[in-house]
Amino acid sequence: MDRSLLLASVLALPLAMLAACLWAPWRARILDLLPIAPLPGIAAALLAVGAPPLRLGYGAWAPVLALDLVGAILLGAAALLWALAALYARIYLRGDGDAGRFGVAWLMTLTGCLGAFVAADMITLYLLLGLLTLGACGLVIHDRTPAAWRGGGMYLALALIGETCALMGFVLLAAASPVDGLLIRDAVQALPGSPTRDLTLALLVVGLGLKAGLVPLHMWMPLAHAAAPVPASAVLSGAVVKVGIIGLMRFLPLDSAMPDWGQALAAVGLFTALYGVAIGITQSHPKAVLAYSSVSQMGVIVAVLGMGWSVGDASAAVSAAFYASHHVLVKGMLFLAVGLVAATAAPRLLWPLLAVAAVLGLGLGGLPLTGGALAKYAVKGPLGDGLAGTLGKVSAAGTTLLVLHFVHRLRSFASQQPGAVAPAGLWWPWCLLALASFVVPWALYLSVPGGTVGDMLAPSVLWAALLPMLAGVAAAVALQFSGARLPQVPLGDLVRVIDAAVWRCVAAGPALMRADTLLLHWPVAVLLLLATVLGFGMMLFGGHR
Amino acid sequence: MSTEGGLLLAAAVLLPFVGMLIGMLAGGRMAQRIAFVVMPLGLAVAVGIASAWLDGSGPVVYLLGGWSPPLGIALRADGVAVAMMLAVAGVVTGIGVFALADFGTPKGGAESRAAFSYWLLLLAVWGALNLVFVSGDLFTLYVALELLTFAAVPLVCLTGSGETLRAALRYLLFALTGSLLYLLGAVLVFGAYGTLDIAQLAQRVQPEIASWTALALMTAGLLAKTALFPLHIWLPPAHAGAPAAASALLSGLVIKGSWFLVVRLWFDAMPGVVTWPSAQLLGALGAGAILFGNAIALRQARLKLLVAYSTVAQIGYLFLMFPLAFDAAAGRIAGGLALSGGIMQAISHATAKSAMFMAAGTIYSALGHDRVADFAGLARALPLTVFAFGLGGIALVGLPPAGGFVAKWWLLSAAASSGQWWWALVLMAGGLLTAAYVFIVVTRALRAPGAPLVIAPVARLSEMAALGLALVSVLLGLLAVFDMRGLIAGRPSMGA
Amino acid sequence: MTVETLIALAACALVGIGLYALIAHPHPLRKLVGFNVLGSGVFMIFGALARRGAAAGMPADPVPQALLITAIVVAFAATAMTVALLLRLIESTGSSALATEPPSGDGDAL
Repeated sequence: MDRSLLLASVLALPLAMLAACLWAPWRARILDLLPIAPLPGIAAALLAVGAPPLRLGYGAWAPVLALDLVGAILLGAAALLWALAALYARIYLRGDGDAGRFGVAWLMTLTGCLGAFVAADMITLYLLLGLLTLGACGLVIHDRTPAAWRGGGMYLALALIGETCALMGFVLLAAASPVDGLLIRDAVQALPGSPTRDLTLALLVVGLGLKAGLVPLHMWMPLAHAAAPVPASAVLSGAVVKVGIIGLMRFLPLDSAMPDWGQALAAVGLFTALYGVAIGITQSHPKAVLAYSSVSQMGVIVAVLGMGWSVGDASAAVSAAFYASHHVLVKGMLFLAVGLVAATAAPRLLWPLLAVAAVLGLGLGGLPLTGGALAKYAVKGPLGDGLAGTLGKVSAAGTTLLVLHFVHRLRSFASQQPGAVAPAGLWWPWCLLALASFVVPWALYLSVPGGTVGDMLAPSVLWAALLPMLAGVAAAVALQFSGARLPQVPLGDLVRVIDAAVWRCVAAGPALMRADTLLLHWPVAVLLLLATVLGFGMMLFGGHR
Repeated sequence: MSTEGGLLLAAAVLLPFVGMLIGMLAGGRMAQRIAFVVMPLGLAVAVGIASAWLDGSGPVVYLLGGWSPPLGIALRADGVAVAMMLAVAGVVTGIGVFALADFGTPKGGAESRAAFSYWLLLLAVWGALNLVFVSGDLFTLYVALELLTFAAVPLVCLTGSGETLRAALRYLLFALTGSLLYLLGAVLVFGAYGTLDIAQLAQRVQPEIASWTALALMTAGLLAKTALFPLHIWLPPAHAGAPAAASALLSGLVIKGSWFLVVRLWFDAMPGVVTWPSAQLLGALGAGAILFGNAIALRQARLKLLVAYSTVAQIGYLFLMFPLAFDAAAGRIAGGLALSGGIMQAISHATAKSAMFMAAGTIYSALGHDRVADFAGLARALPLTVFAFGLGGIALVGLPPAGGFVAKWWLLSAAASSGQWWWALVLMAGGLLTAAYVFIVVTRALRAPGAPLVIAPVARLSEMAALGLALVSVLLGLLAVFDMRGLIAGRPSMGA
Repeated sequence: MTVETLIALAACALVGIGLYALIAHPHPLRKLVGFNVLGSGVFMIFGALARRGAAAGMPADPVPQALLITAIVVAFAATAMTVALLLRLIESTGSSALATEPPSGDGDAL
């Protein structure tokens, strides 16, 4: 089969399922059919890497689909998460009257997410981003609690602002490209030499960084991810934020060395990494803790990209993609674990659950022999040995602290009904996901030439991984026993700034209405008409002097 | 000389008016039947003109009576005119199908006066718009403008209530003042240059006191009729008070007539007279409309008023193209990407706004009110209508493949290449504000109601018509995939 | 001071009077009369231009005169429509004031 057609099926199958949702009988059974939608994505990630780009149509505005190595890594991990989370959602949402609406929102988000990994031209990517935003908003507001409305509204507002900035960046990018076309790759090649380079880069970083959750544009993430139903949070935190990452990887000219931009980006990333940990340990709801952990991990990934960019090393993107793919699977597994714990009280089930979650979660901090250790090993190179490398180790320690805090909060989240057991249909997707989060990074690592198990067992590597973890454990123990009260930071921290700004705008409303009433008076209107005549007359006269 | 297919231009103008006259004389249910005969014929004529223009190398020309200007009248259809005529034909058909629910007379029933008037006025508006698009000289444009106003004013007060009569009277008086200013400008132009034909004026007009005064007068008069901020007083009460089928017509199409005249004046008749400050002033008024109109729309409690103020804002978009089309190097206004963006914006707004007014009308007839705060449960009760409203909103905000996105892309590209980044900011802010009130309305409709919602039955046809137009507006951008000659190239339009 | 100049100046005065009536008088009928006076002013200017633009031998340029006739008919139709609307308004509401209240709906939709 032509491998390029496989790329088209990544989008075609979810879109077809979405269109079929117009029929009520289909919508009634949608939950059972959701796991099928990402399957072409898995196939494409395995088979279609480096296939010739697929052009759908003629002319400069035709959509183009292509898959490079970085996209394939992320696509495979994300598609796997989507499939397993859908199996989980099948049981989790059983009996929910609004399951049809959930399925529609799920499919929209899935199309946008997986499609973004294969989109090769700007317009298609922008369309998929829009679809993604609308679908994700639908997922967040599903439960229709006040927190859900707030999370969905904040998410939509910030996502639109980000997309607007990104659109302006795309327009500038296309304008500066000598090739008449909207292919991302061609336009980015012309970017370093463009006269509007700095403005374009700023707009792209703001727009795509907002989707990835860089501070200070991250405040929607905790609100949205904590308010969504558990399987939706898993895919939102696991897969959807990676769309911002893939955008940064594709739109930044990583192969041309730009030290000032690269180091600035790395600084923002490392600040985000530490900030996420700092706020995360003040939160009490496990989903909120996980959301801030996502913020922190995205910061690490962006820092890796930044360091690679500053020296023009494009292979940093591959390392970052590997790291991100591990995060996709582990974060999804942790979110699903929250749902399991909330429905389980029996200790014989609870303790193994917590233990597995803890071990694999500590992989985010770099626990040796987990996929996380491989990921940390891969990004050690681009981060280097200087300040960035040190801060990277500090962030690993912080992540360890955060994961331990999460497990602690998770334990108190367990069901209060004695003997409660979660349905089997929730257990086995979670187990598969936990297994995948261990196996997949190893499989990726071993398929790269030169990667061996022996490398990872070398004492220096083990010690380098353990040191930050021990520091994190020590910090956790110290915090627990010192009894120090951590400050109460509201969910979404900086979102208070936005709230204040919104209230100020709303307060200006009555003044506007009074102005409008004034304009409604007839004499005022006709006098304004005459003033318009004079105005134009003066502008025409003056312009010709 | 008249070109191939020129007679179709005259047919495009005459067909709706002949239909209207026959309908008026025949009475009974004939007005509705004749309207539905004219609609496909009018569409066919528009398509015929489009193919004639695609085959030829310049505008399609028709000289009435064989007399050439300045004594005779020439009808000319260039790329922008052809695009607008096709769009209007399509939207009128969609609105006509929707109006069958409100103004259709059942078999054997007596036709009400409102229904009778509606079909006649629909045809009159269509004919007047076609005349606006193909007129080749300033005085015929004046006549077309007045025809459009006379056809639009009764649409406002179709229900006959006191409030709508007042709104119609204000509209009429304000519009007539605007027309007289326009006429005064045209008179001055004739006095200075001896001709009113647009192609001839393009060659004769010089920047001097006569042309400046004339352009200022004519522009201001047309802005009053287009309801550009701050001259928008008559629009919200007029459009919100009219029945839904009439509001769709007024907001979607009638506004575009006087706007199109400004385009003709600035781009084709007097391009050399336009200066950088005057173009910036026009853009500034447009920006004011966008920000002011959207802000007031956010504060509206009733849906129809919200959509009317949204129209006030969207009109501002139509005027942003003027400063963006100004070529600073050459010191004159020139067609190109900004012109194409403006035309695409106009067509996209026509389809999307009509769909939104139609959806609002359906909601009103189902609920008996249009208070947004009480919309809870509407999404479950009227899914197609809420979906149509949402789609129309998406098209206005500008998501691919909607026409609004293509227009935004072209306008932003023009802003980027001419370095006028401030208009780009206005465009982006406007999109965000529009998304805000669309989001508010749609989420109110999605909320679960306290008590089950009681709705009156609505005609399936009106829901489907609204949905159809909304889908057209969302898919309009697919046309951009076909490289549209004349629009994108901005071919010289009225050059003889 | 030629005849045309005199006529043109008178026309400007008419335009001014008409505009004043349009702006200042609240009753719609007076606004309508103001509109007609304004229109007459514009037409007179047109006529004066016809006289000025006449070719040698002809008393006046025929083209503006033809356009003037059309414009007068249009103004007449406009006047008729306005009067009809005004009568309907008085009939149905009993008053002839053009409303100056803002459209109802000053609520908080947020």
